[in-house]
Amino acid sequence: MSEKLLIGRTIDTGSWVHSIDPRAKMIAMMLYVVIIILSNTWLEMACVVVFSLAIIALTRIHIKYFIRAAKPLWVLMLFIFIVQCIKVVDKNGAILLSIGSWNLYVEGFKLGLFSVLRMVFLVSFTAILTFTTTPGRLNQGLEGVLKPLKVIRVSPDRFTLMVSIALRFIPSILEEAQIILKAQASRGADVRELPWKEKGKMLVSLLVPVTVGAFRRAEDLVHSMESRGFRLGEPRTKYHRLVWRSRDTIFIGFFIVMLIAMVWMSGYGTGELWTL
Amino acid sequence: MAITFEKVNYEYDANSMWSQAALQGVNLHLESGILVGIAGATGSGKSTLLQMFNGILKPTSGTVQVLDITLKGGEKAPKLHQLRKRVGLVFQFPEQQLFEDTVEKDLCFGPINFGCSVDEAKERARKAMEKMGLDLSLLSRNPFQLSGGQMRKVAIASVLAMDPEIVVLDEPTATLDPVSRAELIQLLHRLCQEEGRTVIIVTHRMDELLPFANQWVILHEGRTVFQGTVKALIEQADQMESYGIVIPQSIRYWRAISEKFGLSGEDPCLSAEAMSKRIAELVSAEDV
Repeated sequence: MSEKLLIGRTIDTGSWVHSIDPRAKMIAMMLYVVIIILSNTWLEMACVVVFSLAIIALTRIHIKYFIRAAKPLWVLMLFIFIVQCIKVVDKNGAILLSIGSWNLYVEGFKLGLFSVLRMVFLVSFTAILTFTTTPGRLNQGLEGVLKPLKVIRVSPDRFTLMVSIALRFIPSILEEAQIILKAQASRGADVRELPWKEKGKMLVSLLVPVTVGAFRRAEDLVHSMESRGFRLGEPRTKYHRLVWRSRDTIFIGFFIVMLIAMVWMSGYGTGELWTL
Repeated sequence: MAITFEKVNYEYDANSMWSQAALQGVNLHLESGILVGIAGATGSGKSTLLQMFNGILKPTSGTVQVLDITLKGGEKAPKLHQLRKRVGLVFQFPEQQLFEDTVEKDLCFGPINFGCSVDEAKERARKAMEKMGLDLSLLSRNPFQLSGGQMRKVAIASVLAMDPEIVVLDEPTATLDPVSRAELIQLLHRLCQEEGRTVIIVTHRMDELLPFANQWVILHEGRTVFQGTVKALIEQADQMESYGIVIPQSIRYWRAISEKFGLSGEDPCLSAEAMSKRIAELVSAEDV
């Protein structure tokens, strides 16, 4: 179970991207989302692919980890692809395939393909953020990015504390579930060897002890934090401080240049030459 | 032969960037019907080793043979139901393995999975409770309301209720009070002596187990660095410190006594009672 889980696992290769300020990375990821939404033509998509691969290469992390990050979503991707193919009815457009009275239009196929490509790149590319940033720094970054929310009286540290505890608990809770599963397997109920109906029952029986365990953990955490003088909302001294350096600006610069290029391309309609 | 390991390697997260070798080239031969102590510093691979005894973990490479079932690294494992019926494993934090809403149900879980009728399972549950010195009135309680020590005893009882040939326990005496600790070790010793079961115990408190164990296995950084009798262990005790283990007090005492009185070659007395008796004999012999 834990072997396949990639959430929040940092892969340290000591690359240039690793040393970028987490705030810069987060802003860059937001820009990337806009970039990928703007890519509507083959040329634009090709540019995005090249750009993404270049940044991925900069992290010096093997590409297979990025592919693996997107893998769990394949069912969703397939679903989106099929829906796009079925849904689009383009009366004047070319027909790629027709089965009985139903036609698969080129436009629908293209839209489906684009949606899937967007999704793959969005998920794998944004994995850069978690692959290259330790959870602690990530959290500090989040706090930094959310600072403007103070204007509307939402406290960013409260929010980031919540997120960091939630993230911190995911592996612990999985581990706890695994201990119980192992103990049950030892007593003759191996989930892998049971029929489906029993399997479901088994997983339901996990809910009670895992929930009890989570509450116990939460309580211990509260006590240990309070005993070390933590008070929510009070100003705190940071041990590691984030320093914005020129390389962070350069990193964001890449994305801004890319964004401008995308806007320019769609604005001038150069892409039309390339559309199918 | 109850358990044989040949060149067993085990890696956590094998084939990934985070792979971590836990066991490296482990060879092990354990006869049936003996009491085995396994020691080693934290992180030496003890818990990993134990989980291979009933097929919870399968070797990355090498061969594990437990009773008449063989697990080979890289091969698809056979059905492990029979193996788990015969090898009972108590985990390091047994209080985490309880999950039913009453103690009785938890104790019956194993036996019923292995084909006992409900009545038979309940009978076994009662016997196991008595063996562990637990009050039968606890049977109807929710396991999460018990004290830490009681939970631990219930968890051990739930494995004993399965009536396994080999009982494997990961630090069973941690978090128990001194009286229960001594009782538990006595009980495990009886399981081995009177009922002929193989009992394997991982422990950080070697002193507790030294008077009873027939065999010792010492692990260091995922390798077996020692396997043999208590006598051999005492002879090689000086090396223990390099494996991150403090030489147990009873061994240090025994070595001091045997040096003073020239007892090398004699069977060691390692419990307080046996040792004081032997000293008394030696002293009175000197007086004459």
